[in-house]
Amino acid sequence: MTHVFETMGTVVSIQPAIRIAEIEAVFADYDSRFSLYRADSEISRIADGSLLLTDASAELRDAYSRSIEWRSLTGGAFTPHRPDGVIDLSGIVKALAIAAAGQLLDASGDWIVNAGGDVLTSGHPTTVGIVDPSDRTQLLTSIRLDGSRRAVATSGSAERGDHIWGRGEFTQVTVVADSIIDADVLATAIIAGGVDTLNAATSKWDIDVLAIDLEGNLFATPGFTAAIADSLAH
Amino acid sequence: MRARAIFLSTAGSIAVLFLGIEIGNAVAAPPTTSGTGSTNSSGSTSGGSSGSASSGGTSSTGSGALKDGSYSGDEAQTPFGPVQVKVTVSGGKITNVAPLELTTYGGRSVQISNYAAPIIRSEVLKAQSVNVSNISGATYTTEAYLSSMQSALDKAKA
Repeated sequence: MTHVFETMGTVVSIQPAIRIAEIEAVFADYDSRFSLYRADSEISRIADGSLLLTDASAELRDAYSRSIEWRSLTGGAFTPHRPDGVIDLSGIVKALAIAAAGQLLDASGDWIVNAGGDVLTSGHPTTVGIVDPSDRTQLLTSIRLDGSRRAVATSGSAERGDHIWGRGEFTQVTVVADSIIDADVLATAIIAGGVDTLNAATSKWDIDVLAIDLEGNLFATPGFTAAIADSLAH
Repeated sequence: MRARAIFLSTAGSIAVLFLGIEIGNAVAAPPTTSGTGSTNSSGSTSGGSSGSASSGGTSSTGSGALKDGSYSGDEAQTPFGPVQVKVTVSGGKITNVAPLELTTYGGRSVQISNYAAPIIRSEVLKAQSVNVSNISGATYTTEAYLSSMQSALDKAKA
């Protein structure tokens, strides 16, 4: 059984359909606090100057400080600041919500949360498809998660809502990691920072990456290539 | 061009490592570089090494075949700290190249061999038709979800 619901301008699927109300509430809470599409959200009130960042909720200040930390770790490739100065935490909020949902589901056997194409699992072996950015009705490939990794996140250069300003070197980047926050933030950072960020990220973090450049060339870490090969055996 | 840029940056790192190996081996080392580095020939065979690419195609040149044994290369400086590798020669060929130490960054060990390298599209496309449980892609809108593959999967499991 799968439960599907809309939130954050996208769609979330939960398998199996357990703790539905609590999980929907987690996403709704993040959305109401962090959505720049809602004029009454806390982040919108900071953007319009009616609320000072220092007076914001602990949750918002925590998300902001995490984003600043990621900005430092990624050499500025990931940033919570739009060019016009508005604080935009959408690059990390969905991952925070997925992680919170995962905490609710832990100790409930095997489960998978897929929020708008970002996937977190309980850690059981499973096979995840990767969308072809040139034809989103097709799979580019698929990877086997052998149980040692839990999170797969994909970012695109034309991604809705995530406000990626990049060097335009990659059209799509998929990151496999232990944490959905690492995976999502680093996928966004590599789209924004290009090859330099890709090489820095694969050296600094224990992640696997598949990146597609403007000409359709593919680049993969050894672990990602192995996961593709492994998916053929299942 | 991009493929080349990534490949070259990766190749550059590997070249640094192999330069160290060559010096350590004192095989085909030009006179200008002889005498540098600390060759550590233990003669032991490889054991317990992991995580590094093995090297084929490094054939001996000139008079000397490679002598069996294990050899440590010079330490190479990388943006993430010093890296040193050990090469194992067996039957006159390099059979293994292993990092003697991995650098750390923020307390985590760093795999110097984890660069994203070009892969062939046809190899990737073979893996399209397997049974997938979920699909990862750039965030879709609510409307786009309706025509997405994830939507079809969710319906199938509803």
